[in-house]
Amino acid sequence: MTRVIGKRIPRIDGAVKVTGEAKYTVDIQLPGMLCAKILRSPLPHAKIIRIDTSKAEKMPGVKAVITGKDAWDVRHGFVETPRYPADQYVLANERVRYLGEEVAAVAAVDEDTALAALDAVDVTYEELPAVFDLFDAMKPDAPEVHPIEIPDIDRPYKNIGGMCANSFGDVERAFRNAYLVRKDRFESQLRTHCYLEPQATLAHYDSTGTLHVWTSSMGTFRKRMHLARTLKMPENRVHVHKSFVGGAFGGKIDLFSHEFCTSLLSIKTGRPVRFVAERDEIFSYYRHSQPMVLDLETAVDRQGRLLGQRARCYNSCGAYRGSGVVFIFLSWGFLVLPYRVPAVDYAGYAVYTNNPVRAPQRGHGAPKVRFAVESQIDMIAEELGIDPIELRLRNARRKGEVLPNGDSIRNAGLVECIEEAARVSDFQRKYSRNARGRKEKSPVKRGIGMGVSSYFTGTLIYPNSSAAVVLLNDDGSIQLLTGALDIGQGAETVLCQIVAEELGVKMQDIRVVAADTETTPVDIGSWISGLTYVTGNAVKKAAQEAKRLLLLSAAKELEVGPEDLELRDRRVYVKETDRSISFAHAITRHIRENDGDPIIGRGSFRGLKEAAIGPSLKNAKGTWSDSYAFDAQVAEVEVDTRTGKVSVVRALTSHDCGFPLNPLLVEGQIDGQVSMAAGQATTEEVLMKSGVTLNPSFLDYKVPLAADMVENGYIDIITEQYEGEGRFITKEVGEGYVSGMLAAVTNAIANAVGFRARKLPVDMAGKTDR
Amino acid sequence: MKGDKVKSSRKREAAGRLIRLIVNGEEHVVIAEDRNTLLDVLRSKLFLTGTKEGCGTGECGACTVLVDGKPVLACLMLAINASGKKITTIEGLAVDGKLSPLQQAFVEFGAVQCGFCSPGMILSATALLYENRSPTRKEIQKALEGNLCRCTGYNKIVEAIESVRRGVS
Repeated sequence: MTRVIGKRIPRIDGAVKVTGEAKYTVDIQLPGMLCAKILRSPLPHAKIIRIDTSKAEKMPGVKAVITGKDAWDVRHGFVETPRYPADQYVLANERVRYLGEEVAAVAAVDEDTALAALDAVDVTYEELPAVFDLFDAMKPDAPEVHPIEIPDIDRPYKNIGGMCANSFGDVERAFRNAYLVRKDRFESQLRTHCYLEPQATLAHYDSTGTLHVWTSSMGTFRKRMHLARTLKMPENRVHVHKSFVGGAFGGKIDLFSHEFCTSLLSIKTGRPVRFVAERDEIFSYYRHSQPMVLDLETAVDRQGRLLGQRARCYNSCGAYRGSGVVFIFLSWGFLVLPYRVPAVDYAGYAVYTNNPVRAPQRGHGAPKVRFAVESQIDMIAEELGIDPIELRLRNARRKGEVLPNGDSIRNAGLVECIEEAARVSDFQRKYSRNARGRKEKSPVKRGIGMGVSSYFTGTLIYPNSSAAVVLLNDDGSIQLLTGALDIGQGAETVLCQIVAEELGVKMQDIRVVAADTETTPVDIGSWISGLTYVTGNAVKKAAQEAKRLLLLSAAKELEVGPEDLELRDRRVYVKETDRSISFAHAITRHIRENDGDPIIGRGSFRGLKEAAIGPSLKNAKGTWSDSYAFDAQVAEVEVDTRTGKVSVVRALTSHDCGFPLNPLLVEGQIDGQVSMAAGQATTEEVLMKSGVTLNPSFLDYKVPLAADMVENGYIDIITEQYEGEGRFITKEVGEGYVSGMLAAVTNAIANAVGFRARKLPVDMAGKTDR
Repeated sequence: MKGDKVKSSRKREAAGRLIRLIVNGEEHVVIAEDRNTLLDVLRSKLFLTGTKEGCGTGECGACTVLVDGKPVLACLMLAINASGKKITTIEGLAVDGKLSPLQQAFVEFGAVQCGFCSPGMILSATALLYENRSPTRKEIQKALEGNLCRCTGYNKIVEAIESVRRGVS
């Protein structure tokens, strides 16, 4: 039985957040702080002929102006490998490739002066032809965004920033023997994160030669690596401090030009420099989610069993690769994860265009791939006259199956997820009733739909691993030192629970010191869905080590063996007796007997122990993740046939996330993902024309409001089994549940009105069904 | 860009005037330029950074404060127009270190994730409960329509407010 783990424990930083005490990057002010602003390219594609900063530099109040010339030719990228070397300068160098690309930065005494200085920077451009549409960019005569050749491109496409190709099984035979083949194109729009805290960075280079940085991010150690490399400084001189993070959802993981510029401006001036992005700057020029066009061909037998799939994934990654080449690799994985497919032929292309760079967003490919696959599954079910739930069950992967890349699905509750989601939502009855309702008079139609997804639990990408330290003070109080950055998901709370469980103490007995690159050990970060698994296990090992030392010391004092002892309420008890000593007593004895050594537990963890590196981005070969989470989600919608308005009324998420360490936080993750998916399915889209963003505000980019709230249900599958196996068998829970929901919504719309959406967001005015 | 609007007004810095604000029960006299918003003054002059700026254009609700008990977007109100008025920010809700029932409920129900919307959200909810001691779920959702939250889907926020509603009635 667990005491703390698995319990609905409120987050430990709740009080500082509801009182306004929590300091986000935008809240931190230092004496003598300068204001930084960034000059952006007004053209989508141009040569920079000349930049004259002399007028700006002479302006009173302007302390520094930097351009690409000051940025020592350093490039950076989300991926930096021999196949995909870094392709972006931190400040544009000779050429700009999208409207809004950073050309110069200034630091001045106040915002007005900084803005006036931007106006005074004189840039001469020579405009070049630009290309914005994905398929236009692939044509042989398209304007060239980068002079880059990927050696194994299978056709004479242009502007290919990356390609991932993989096939297995006899695809030709699968299609030859098929009872039914469906071929459809699915398009997922350009959508964005809408983190509420703007992008912001405060940098202070002090006289010891140390750069202090506060930046709104998803992991301080990844930012430190990027900043150290681009600034050519050793990592121990780049101190990234913890600040609270006002949401990220994938949008704050890359290195951003403003982070480099703010740092370099501080190095040049010796003064603290702060940059805060305006909201319309974020909408227009920052990194949104990767858009996708997926051509999906599926062959099934008469019973609807998948025989083979051909998939072509096209991604407009923008003017630089960003995460595009990872996105097309992941998309392969999300295609083959939840269902058994004996033969697949996949190719994904990340295509350069003269648009802003794209980034991961919650799910990073999964929502878009699953939207396509799950929509098509329903279409196949309808054509074959098979119940859509039954069709999913026939194809669902089961415990012990091996993925095409060799990863074993050691435990998978997918079948249970689908069955329970259908049973609890009364799916089949509602599905038939709604279909009959289409013929009735009422203008508001109801629909129910399901989507299935799976997501990985961390993989190998820098920093790859986490370490942690548990410090016992001589009064018996405890500190956990972890590099984990809580971005709202509750990382600090969960890690604190793990220490409390191991040491038999209260949450309040532990002080969590987190995310400071100078005082805490390296951490994988709040992304790639690996934090609770990787850092959680590092913390567990650190706590166990501290416990071991504590028990050794207490055992001497109590004159029993360590195995006869147990911990509770900051005391060490001889089991089944009242004999005990306090933590303080045992710790003090340990210090005395060990040459002053206090009790320090160290732990570290790295997933994929057999693998030297992560999977290949070129051909998707190689192990990917230690475990996979699964889910089946049901959406119930109302469609007003007079206006085309779709309301997502209710959702049910049936999921296998391993053992949920804190169900309250797990539910919070599901709520957020369901809401995000409902928005992405029905209203959200960044509209662009010729590189210009047409709707750069919350008024024109509609995220769900409180009135759009979806009533949520949750079913946690096979929890007890994981508890039996060991309570820290956790899987990811922060990203995968956007994915099933998207198709659940579009399938529900099809159930309500017979309209089959092949494009997101659903536009009922553009009916294209059949 | 928001900055564009203020660019030409730099030479008018002398146009600052003394204003008196009663913030969380304390009187403050500050010099404010005519163009300064209440948000600018709270955050940059009084260092009350609990009030957040998410957009600066009145769309996200993160800067919601109470002015004479009514919810107001501090980024759209000029500081000079707040002169003499009673302003409540998130820093003013807890009494003697004890969280208000709404603050407490937000923590307990998991209504807080990243927390950036929480101050504005809690103040909008506080204003709602002043007006209406037992709002329905729909009324709660309506009252929060001006406060964006991207983390929670609003579910636990609404539950937290409902728990306080029940406590009150």
